[in-house]
Amino acid sequence: MRRLLIYFLFGITGTVAVFFLFIWTGTLNPLHSSPNAHEKSAALPLGKAIYEAKCTTCHGDDGKGDGRAAALLNPKPRDFTSGMYKIRTTESGSIPTDEDLARAITNGLHGSAMPDWGPFLSGDSLKAIVAYIKSFSPRFEQEKPRVAHISAPVPSSPPSTADGKRVYAKLQCASCHGTDGKGTGATATELFDDWGDDIVAANLTEPWTFKGGSTARDIYLRFRTGMNGTPMPSYLGSASEKEMWDLANYVVSLARKPVWAMDAEALKTFYAAADAEAKKNPVQRGKYLVEAQCVGCHSGYSADGKVLPEFKLAGGLVFDLYPFGKFTSFNLTSDKETGLGNWTDEEIKRAITQGIQRDGSRLLPFPMPWTSIAQMPDDDVNAIIAYLRTVPPIHNKVPMPGKPNFFSYMWGKFEMLILKKQTPGYIYPMKDFTKEAE
Amino acid sequence: MKKFLKWTAIVAGCLVVIGFLAFLYFIPPLTMIPQTAFTQPLAQALEAPLKSIKDPAEKILAERGKMIVGRSACSDCHTPQGSQGPNYNEFLAGGGMKDEFKLYGSVISRNLTPDKETGIGARTDAEIIRVLRSGVSHDGRVMTPVYMPWFDFSNLTDEDKYAVVVYLRHVKPVRHKIPEYSSHSDFEILSETAGDYAEHQRAH
Repeated sequence: MRRLLIYFLFGITGTVAVFFLFIWTGTLNPLHSSPNAHEKSAALPLGKAIYEAKCTTCHGDDGKGDGRAAALLNPKPRDFTSGMYKIRTTESGSIPTDEDLARAITNGLHGSAMPDWGPFLSGDSLKAIVAYIKSFSPRFEQEKPRVAHISAPVPSSPPSTADGKRVYAKLQCASCHGTDGKGTGATATELFDDWGDDIVAANLTEPWTFKGGSTARDIYLRFRTGMNGTPMPSYLGSASEKEMWDLANYVVSLARKPVWAMDAEALKTFYAAADAEAKKNPVQRGKYLVEAQCVGCHSGYSADGKVLPEFKLAGGLVFDLYPFGKFTSFNLTSDKETGLGNWTDEEIKRAITQGIQRDGSRLLPFPMPWTSIAQMPDDDVNAIIAYLRTVPPIHNKVPMPGKPNFFSYMWGKFEMLILKKQTPGYIYPMKDFTKEAE
Repeated sequence: MKKFLKWTAIVAGCLVVIGFLAFLYFIPPLTMIPQTAFTQPLAQALEAPLKSIKDPAEKILAERGKMIVGRSACSDCHTPQGSQGPNYNEFLAGGGMKDEFKLYGSVISRNLTPDKETGIGARTDAEIIRVLRSGVSHDGRVMTPVYMPWFDFSNLTDEDKYAVVVYLRHVKPVRHKIPEYSSHSDFEILSETAGDYAEHQRAH
């Protein structure tokens, strides 16, 4: 009987030893369990290494434009597998040249989250990343880029600009871009790209947001070649070369001064007009505010840290703030049962500016930053509420902050106050969340 | 009499323990402090950098930036913690938040004051805007989403991002060195490999 016990203990010790051996050698390290982990070494092709370090956050591991942050970005990151690119010097429908891709990477795409990689990637690195991005789509092997012939530019002059204005009317640019060029045409709110994502018509008065650059030549190229995958067609055939150059000159003339070039008087009028516009259109203002400060935490994440587009604004990010307990970001959609559907405007306002929950209990000053939202002007808070009312309902039940375990809470306080120990917080997706997503 | 003393001592002992536990449980009673005790000091700290601005155009822009910095809760993470909540004497000097991420490793909030060595004093406008817009730091390193919510701020207009930069340039500079963050994520390891490899390629 005693011998049996000894064997039994031997077995346990052996298993534990093997287990730790695995951990020690890294075979079982949970932090390195991603499928590509074992491939990482200096032997990786340079393009792939750069891509995985710099690009996957937005464009995804497979180049489908579905990286961790993709769902929250406007416009959405490019899907490289389609081989379709907006900013090209090639004919409509054609694949871009290597130089087009290199230029986009070096200069970035203004008005989007694509930064200028010029300071970090050049020479062989740039060539390698262009080659790797091309490898996502078979089109680059099957087709050759058809470079567009660029005609001699028509220099900018008042007559050319006036002609351009007539072309603007003739080609019905105003139906999307608006008569004033501010991107508020009749159909501007109903524009979708080939992937079904909402897109906006460019505001032609803000040239610093033009993705492909703001010189007359850049603008001419956008009409001449079209923007593949978007409702912006090529006007080759419907307009003469001169008309396209005139139009480019006209669009250049629409530009207004950016705030960094304005003097005090101009800034005052500009911001007064912007505030009046925001007051007139609170839902649009609210959308801008929510997308620039709320969605990051109030969205559902997959277990590997990717924002799930189907749970945008539906809550589900857990903040484990020892010793205060766990806090899950709330469902902000208009779902009646699990979201804000049954909340009154007053209740929402009280929660986000004073940290008072629906049942009257108080929120801590973190992780929900109601202390910061309390700094906002009243109009902006109302605009946020107005926009949240329009968010389509998504059913996602989120646990309310509960009381933490009494003893761990007290021990945590003791550590923080008496022992002065730094206690880090943890952030991770709601546990059963991915199951729910399936 | 002896028995009475003995029991008194026991009861007193129990009370001390209970009192100490109650002290730990209720202090600081964050949800019993009035809201203005949190919002007022923050509002004052946000307002302070505006006072010294002479140039009228810059002042209007900085006011705009103040609104954005205020509502975006930058201070919640980027202001160091004092004994009684955030230490607003060192507004935005970093180190206020240390987060450990089960996926990405640990990060410490950076110093956002215009100090030349430890803050953003030596960074260009374009470098600061690049962080807000794309989560790419001055050395080309990519910030993984969640800790610094750049993917929220990316949706700010370029003009609003610029206003934030103008405001940050006027915050009181504080010398406060923040340790580099440790990361055990695959992401960071790769990032280093790629950088080194690129250097190597250029050298040959």
